[in-house]
Amino acid sequence: MKLHDVDVAVIGAGPAGMAAAIRAREAGAEKVVLMERAEELGGLLHQCVHNGFGLLYFNEDLTGPEYGHRFIEKALDTGVTPLLETMVVRLGEDRQIGAVNTKEGFITFRPKSIVLAMGCRERSRGALNIPGTRPAGVLTAGTAQRYVNVEGFVPGKKVVILGSGDIGMIMARRLTLEGARVEAVVEILPYIGGLIRNEVQCLHDFDIPLFLNHTVTQIHGEERVEAVTVAQVNGNRQPVAGTQRTIACDTLLLSVGLIPENELSIMAGVRLDPVTGGARVDETRQTNIPGVFAGGNVLHVHDLVDNVSWESEMAGESAARFALEGKQKESGKIVVRAGRNIRYVVPQTISGRRDTTLYMRVNEPEETVRIKVGDIMTKGVRAVKPSEMLKIELSAEKLGKLREGTKEITVDCEKRGGK
Amino acid sequence: MAQKKTFICIGCPLGCRVTLTIDGKGAVAGFAGNKCKEGEKYVLEEYTNPVRTLTATVLTEGSSQPLLAVRTSRPIVKTKLAEGMAVLAKVRARPPLKIGDVVVPNLLDTGADIVASGNLSS
Ligand code: SF4
Repeated sequence: MKLHDVDVAVIGAGPAGMAAAIRAREAGAEKVVLMERAEELGGLLHQCVHNGFGLLYFNEDLTGPEYGHRFIEKALDTGVTPLLETMVVRLGEDRQIGAVNTKEGFITFRPKSIVLAMGCRERSRGALNIPGTRPAGVLTAGTAQRYVNVEGFVPGKKVVILGSGDIGMIMARRLTLEGARVEAVVEILPYIGGLIRNEVQCLHDFDIPLFLNHTVTQIHGEERVEAVTVAQVNGNRQPVAGTQRTIACDTLLLSVGLIPENELSIMAGVRLDPVTGGARVDETRQTNIPGVFAGGNVLHVHDLVDNVSWESEMAGESAARFALEGKQKESGKIVVRAGRNIRYVVPQTISGRRDTTLYMRVNEPEETVRIKVGDIMTKGVRAVKPSEMLKIELSAEKLGKLREGTKEITVDCEKRGGK
Repeated sequence: MAQKKTFICIGCPLGCRVTLTIDGKGAVAGFAGNKCKEGEKYVLEEYTNPVRTLTATVLTEGSSQPLLAVRTSRPIVKTKLAEGMAVLAKVRARPPLKIGDVVVPNLLDTGADIVASGNLSS
């Protein structure tokens, strides 16, 4: 393969990268390479054997591998060029990529445009500072998922799960079905970190106790985890004296959040948003570096893969256009600010000239609210939760109502009724 | 005696706690706590016939891949999930298998098949 002929290079072949590469081909980019460090396309979808994927995108209830295979097949059908077992180790400001693989050694090339689709990784024990010993048996929920679903062994018999993210709850069910006993799911916040359907179908269905407003304050055991101490927390998330109890277990799973994997982006000088941990982008998903786009969990952590695919298609389409035209027609000039009870909005800037979808999350759960975008649109929403991403569609027509010269637009989540 | 059962509706992020009242003859007598009609539909289904898709893995034979992801072809009654796992524990999947290929027909007489949800090559 002649790498210098590359039009679009997509880094990472999980759901984001596959969708971006497919759309880039469909949008007319000639040579699209999909770079992946693993041996196959699909990313983490292979280990997510549970269902619930594709309910929005395909209108079907698929498992992770099924969802992944639809994109793998489409990538091959549309003429995407996979570059497997290839790890990108360098990304320059001038869009130069340096990568290594076992066949060609170190390779460099400069595609006309790039889509960042590296996904995210889990927060680990180091990020939590739980006191106690350092025994075996403390692992992230995603690592446990790989052990159980891909490698074929169950990491423990009596399990406590810290954090109520979706992967943690899904592993609670999976481990129970495989014969382990999940003693408790412990969540420091007053509400769960994942989707309600997972609370019902993964915890309630199996009578797994959920402790909200609680955390693990100590890990016990020398060689192997023997127990954890769990305590209630106060409003400042500090343990309350006298509420400690010890739960015997041999395994502690951590499901305490995901972090976008942006080492390469930082190397290239991509400006990040401190709240999302991902790049700041405009509605085409272009970063501050012309010709460098981003989509999926590397940009902001999603709760549904369907949205990852849609967002990355936008990035792929924009990358193809950039490769064909050599430049971006117009980029975002209007800054989108997160207002009342809004934690973040992606994209962070918009041009105001095209149909635009705003993805956002709230800070706190609230009921009976309306999402207000400047003074051009409001949308009533029954309930909002930090764990459920909101999508607001703005048509070019609506955006046309913005006053000429508008520099900033604020998105608020306001209480409705009760006037 | 009337009986009460509580469900959490998964219809939207509100997650209403819906209390279902069942009269002395076992008939549905009322709903409380749901903020919309969807909640009644959901709770009625969860009360009369709660179903779930069973997803799991089975061991393989003759493949470098130790496990194959499998699922039920459609949701089965919730009470048969554990029994279904016991059946799967004895299954050995042999390549070649493609997504959708039947691995166990008519699991526990539920009418649902266990099908491959990944591909398996040798
Ligand atoms: S009852 Fe209606 S409002 Fe309440 S959770 Fe279900 S769908 Fe949402």
